[in-house]
Amino acid sequence: MKAFPLLLATLLACPALLLTSCAGTRKPAAPAAAVGDGKSLASSDADDLDEYAASEISDPIEPVNRATFWVNHQLYRFVLKPISKTYEFVIPQPVRKGIFNAFDNIDFPVRLVNNTLQGNFHRAGQETGKFAVNTVLGVGGILRVSDKFPALANVPPASTSQTFQKWGIGHGPYIVLPLIGPSSARDTVGLAGDYVLNPVTWVAYFYGILAWTIPVSAAETLYVMPDKFRQYDAATKNSLDRYLAIRRSYVQYRKEANSK
Amino acid sequence: MKIRRYLLLLAPLLLLCGRLNAGTPEAEKRLQSAVNEVLTAAESAPDVAALPAKLSPILLRHISFDAMTRRAVGPGWRQFTNAEKEKAVELFTTLIIRTYSEKITPGEYPVIKFKPASTPAPGRVEVPTILTYRGSTYEVTYRLEEAEGWRITDVMIEGVSLVANYRSQFDALFKKDGANGVLNALTKEKARNK
Repeated sequence: MKAFPLLLATLLACPALLLTSCAGTRKPAAPAAAVGDGKSLASSDADDLDEYAASEISDPIEPVNRATFWVNHQLYRFVLKPISKTYEFVIPQPVRKGIFNAFDNIDFPVRLVNNTLQGNFHRAGQETGKFAVNTVLGVGGILRVSDKFPALANVPPASTSQTFQKWGIGHGPYIVLPLIGPSSARDTVGLAGDYVLNPVTWVAYFYGILAWTIPVSAAETLYVMPDKFRQYDAATKNSLDRYLAIRRSYVQYRKEANSK
Repeated sequence: MKIRRYLLLLAPLLLLCGRLNAGTPEAEKRLQSAVNEVLTAAESAPDVAALPAKLSPILLRHISFDAMTRRAVGPGWRQFTNAEKEKAVELFTTLIIRTYSEKITPGEYPVIKFKPASTPAPGRVEVPTILTYRGSTYEVTYRLEEAEGWRITDVMIEGVSLVANYRSQFDALFKKDGANGVLNALTKEKARNK
């Protein structure tokens, strides 16, 4: 009889046990779309056909977007790509890395404010530590010394768009911005937020020399171009419709980057 | 004594937990061997042009192109005739192999770090990896599914799924011109780079 409470306890513990000991490796099963009930991958009538239906974005102004996209693509091909190639050719990789790091370091308020707005004080603290370490030990942020400290390495970057997503704000319609490229209503506002939080903007504003932001943003654009263009090429190289390939990539990329 | 009985009762439960994840190491092993085979084959390729021919037998063995094509097309797949399905798989396979081969430069190899796999659904494993290439790091996640052994069914680079990207394009083509629209676009794309 004494064994009864133990048995009861075990039975009660069952679900808990299943949950705790398996939770580490099992994420909640994907909704309806999840397959894998032993069905052969070769069977053509499997009900997994709509696996990839989700994560599309509404595009009410598609004709306008396509036109802007076309202009951007020509600019990319004939102006920006040659500039970017020249930049990569003239400036050696370690120097490019240094320029990237310095700008990335200055961008610290964007990450600090957004982590704080998301209530992620741990990351806000990490960012502050990173900024201090890189500015002081990394000669004004040129060297990313913080990567040497495990507590400060691999902190996912926060942005205003990410804050909006964490607050539950959806994309809204897809917008292709001139020069900047794919964006959405939400992320366009997000970009404006990032711009306002960028100290380079403040300096230009406080000294009343707004014209300064032009060469500085040009330089900022230059350092991100090679990487962005590689992504663009990878997504469009073997596509059947460049515009749709980029639109889908953008939605997925944003979702992934914002959910970190 | 009681404790022992209690533990005995627990044993099957623990075994059950173990079983649920039993496929994971197998899938991971499969992926690692696929990656190694590709890198070894790439090493013996004389130039870039020889890569697709060198890699295709390996990729055909490890990737389920059937599943990829079917899902890239979506529900419209049901309206494809058998001949059209076959043609679509064939064309899409060529396209994927070409895309994949273009990412490899003989002599320059990425460093790939495998991270712990997750099981989003039974019979499905996702293995995240960190790929370092020319000083940049990328998050590349492989999805594997079990059917006559483990096969790769999707690759996600920085969260961007290969299959999902084609899905958007095929959808538009199918809505406009049906199966023929999809096949024509694929045929045209194949001819373009040849």
